[in-house]
Amino acid sequence: MSFKEIIDKVVADGAAYCDIRKEHWNKTSLTLKDGVPEMVAQGEEEGAMVRVFYGNGWGCVGTNDLDDIQETANRALTMAKKSARYKESETDLADIEINQDKIKIPMKEDFRDISAEEKLSFLKELEYNLSKNFVKSTDIRYRDSLVEKEIITSEGTHIQMEIPRLVAYLIVTGKSDTIQRASEGTGGTGGYEITEKTLDKTNVVLDRLETLLEASTPPSGKMPLIMDPHLAGVFSHEAFGHAAEGDLVASDNSCLKGKLGEKVASDIVTIKDDPTMEGYGSFPYDDEGTKTRNRVLVKEGTLNDFILDRENAWKLDLEPNGGARAEDFRVKPLVRMSNTIMEPGDMKFEELLEEIKGRGVYAKASSGGQVSPAQGTFQFNAQESYLIEDGEIVKPLRDVSFNGFTLDTLQNITGITDKLETGIGHCGKGQTAPVSDGAGHVLVSEVMVGGRE
Amino acid sequence: MSEKLIESAKEIIGKLKGRGLDGDVFGVNCRNVEYGIKKGELTDSSEYDDVGLGIRVLKDGKLGFGFCTPGYEEKGVKQAVEFSKVSQKIDLKFPEEEHVPKVETFDSKIEQVISEGKGADFTQELIDGCVSYAEDITPTMGGVEIYLGSEIVANTNGVLLEKKRTAMLGSVMATIPGEKTSITASEKEVSKKSDIDFKNVGERSAEKVDSMRNEVTLPEGDIPVMLESRSLNQLLGFGLIPSFNGENVRKGKSVYSDKLGEDVAHSHLTLKDDPTQDWGIGSSPFDDEGVVSRTLEFISHGILKGFMYDLKEAHKSETESTGNAIRANFKSPPDISERNLVLRGKDTPREELLPDGGILVDDIMGAHTANPASGDFSIVATPVWLIENGEKKGRIEGVMLSGNLPELLKTIQLADDYKKTYMSLGGRSLKLDTPSARVDDVIVSGK
Ligand SMILES: [Zn+2]
Repeated sequence: MSFKEIIDKVVADGAAYCDIRKEHWNKTSLTLKDGVPEMVAQGEEEGAMVRVFYGNGWGCVGTNDLDDIQETANRALTMAKKSARYKESETDLADIEINQDKIKIPMKEDFRDISAEEKLSFLKELEYNLSKNFVKSTDIRYRDSLVEKEIITSEGTHIQMEIPRLVAYLIVTGKSDTIQRASEGTGGTGGYEITEKTLDKTNVVLDRLETLLEASTPPSGKMPLIMDPHLAGVFSHEAFGHAAEGDLVASDNSCLKGKLGEKVASDIVTIKDDPTMEGYGSFPYDDEGTKTRNRVLVKEGTLNDFILDRENAWKLDLEPNGGARAEDFRVKPLVRMSNTIMEPGDMKFEELLEEIKGRGVYAKASSGGQVSPAQGTFQFNAQESYLIEDGEIVKPLRDVSFNGFTLDTLQNITGITDKLETGIGHCGKGQTAPVSDGAGHVLVSEVMVGGRE
Repeated sequence: MSEKLIESAKEIIGKLKGRGLDGDVFGVNCRNVEYGIKKGELTDSSEYDDVGLGIRVLKDGKLGFGFCTPGYEEKGVKQAVEFSKVSQKIDLKFPEEEHVPKVETFDSKIEQVISEGKGADFTQELIDGCVSYAEDITPTMGGVEIYLGSEIVANTNGVLLEKKRTAMLGSVMATIPGEKTSITASEKEVSKKSDIDFKNVGERSAEKVDSMRNEVTLPEGDIPVMLESRSLNQLLGFGLIPSFNGENVRKGKSVYSDKLGEDVAHSHLTLKDDPTQDWGIGSSPFDDEGVVSRTLEFISHGILKGFMYDLKEAHKSETESTGNAIRANFKSPPDISERNLVLRGKDTPREELLPDGGILVDDIMGAHTANPASGDFSIVATPVWLIENGEKKGRIEGVMLSGNLPELLKTIQLADDYKKTYMSLGGRSLKLDTPSARVDDVIVSGK
């Protein structure tokens, strides 16, 4: 039976909706640790997920055995029926435009045509550039993946798309009195041409590590903070973006619930999440077959939109905007971000510095963090930081972490510079999604900085 | 369910031997079932089946890796051979046949739970337990996860091992809606057996959030800190365990390099990796390279005893594998990891750990930002309660903790509430059996 026939049968058995998402993956990963290829793997795999909506219940079943989709669909229907017994409140899918489309994101240079030897020699070149006397250890990671997807729904949508992605990470470690680590990643949606950007990053990580090795521990307390574009991008994604995910909003797990049209940030703040722009998190259709569009989440300080899949758009009475993404065919799509950008402003970096009277911190690049979208709280660590005194950068700091309430912090943004820079990331929400984020330099008038002093 | 997998593994080993090559196969056949709660209701039901094999081959002294699904063995072997060309030279010896210990890891009742779709019923029990506690408390997130799987390791030395594992997890985040921000607390229970009292997990989450209604301020001055096991676990996982990784030790990225045999912790403290513990969350009779499981002591009565190795790192460090090879899935080559971490020591009844009051930290944010090399951490603690006369006086917002994990071990006091659990954070998953503990050498700061 064809996928179309399987879907028709599930609908004939009483389901309100059914879709099948089939994926074929081609992946390569290379890791060069201290010049030694530690992990090299290459492989192909394929599989599919069947989603069935019955009554108010869902059943989603994924498999990597494509000979057995009929059985997989039966299991999804059984699961949806059982789940419907417990699901009392009404739910539905908001309407979308029905599309038949075939789309291929181009690779200027197809990474499948580059031999493993050649990829490895590129990593060795990076390694060579990172060999400095203060570098104790290097870790260079390369990943490329090409996914061919086919999404067929009981409503007639039929999307076929090919999405290539590539990412490379540089991690260096050095030692003074303690061990310090600096990392940078580059990546994008496209082909091997993306690696051109990686070479420039070697100097960035080297400078960062050298700085960290002579850095002191930070002060703690409330103070002004300048975030560099990478950290501000991560802040926009983590602290704000997650709270703007429609599933969290609709299930009362977001501090932005009920705030549409309200002021949530200072007037100079505009944040968008745009899968259609160039970036590591780009895609033309989401995993429900909805055509993607730019989402302006905050417009000049006012909450303007959420990231939405079809069910949560229905619950919130808004329009789906292509927010459903699944890591692969094993799992169901969730509401996820794509390329999250805080729009640049009109200031210069020096002007931000001048705003700081007394003590402040300039923090660059993130080394991780955690957020609670429900409580609207965040905690981040910066990779590289500097102490500011009366508008002057005084000395480097390490292990700087800061935390606060997202909405307070957005209100406290008093300056944004005019140059956008973007970075890449892997967003975790039970599933991993390739994303990018970006901003200008951002001045926050007050945030809680915590150090080890 | 694993016949197909075993046949496929045998075919691969046959193909390797046919080419005169050494190698091994790791195969998985598993089912993962998940039910999700949102806004007090069961909203999501999903599951996936995974079957596949990871192949390692040693060609001209270089180790290649590839993966495939049953039926595509030839392609998988070819890929591994092809990729060995860009790999490092390493004289890896795959394990020989050896006696495999019996470790309890499989509860056949879980097969039934899956076939009857009982996970949906369990999810409803979680919900019922939570909502029955108080009118304004809702389970806003959480759910039930069920795992049933079979894993095999085979190699060209004739080893063919199979292990079957089951697991269940129930979790609830209970919420009291608020003006500016809502109050939330969560509870989680994990077991290899079908023995979780889901209703009770729901009740406990509600009871916890109920005790957070009242906000109090952090007292001035030094204050004793008690960490619930899940906070301690995260700090151990990110600030300490990386220092027991043989590779980090060899490369000087561990605080414990050159410290074997030295006093590194309180003399009552023992920290070990014990995959032979029956029903341990991370237990199994052999690791993902087919090395037979044994107990590995990291710290015994305060003295640094050992580090963990897989086959590759053992070769580089000129020692033996400790059976600490773990694969995230069949598509990844093995990596060094703790398996079933056990923390033991002289313990004090939980209620007596804070005789003069203090703060109780339920959970922390940002443990994965701890410096894995130094053990330094600076994290947000939430929820936190002020404890006076053994009672929760209210929650404290905005508490930050900072310190150094290896230093904490020198004065840590364990409670007697040992708990088996699992957590996944920052791309890592940890399986542990630990108690809550009092830690004195941390800096506590408030907002
Ligand atoms: Zn994220």
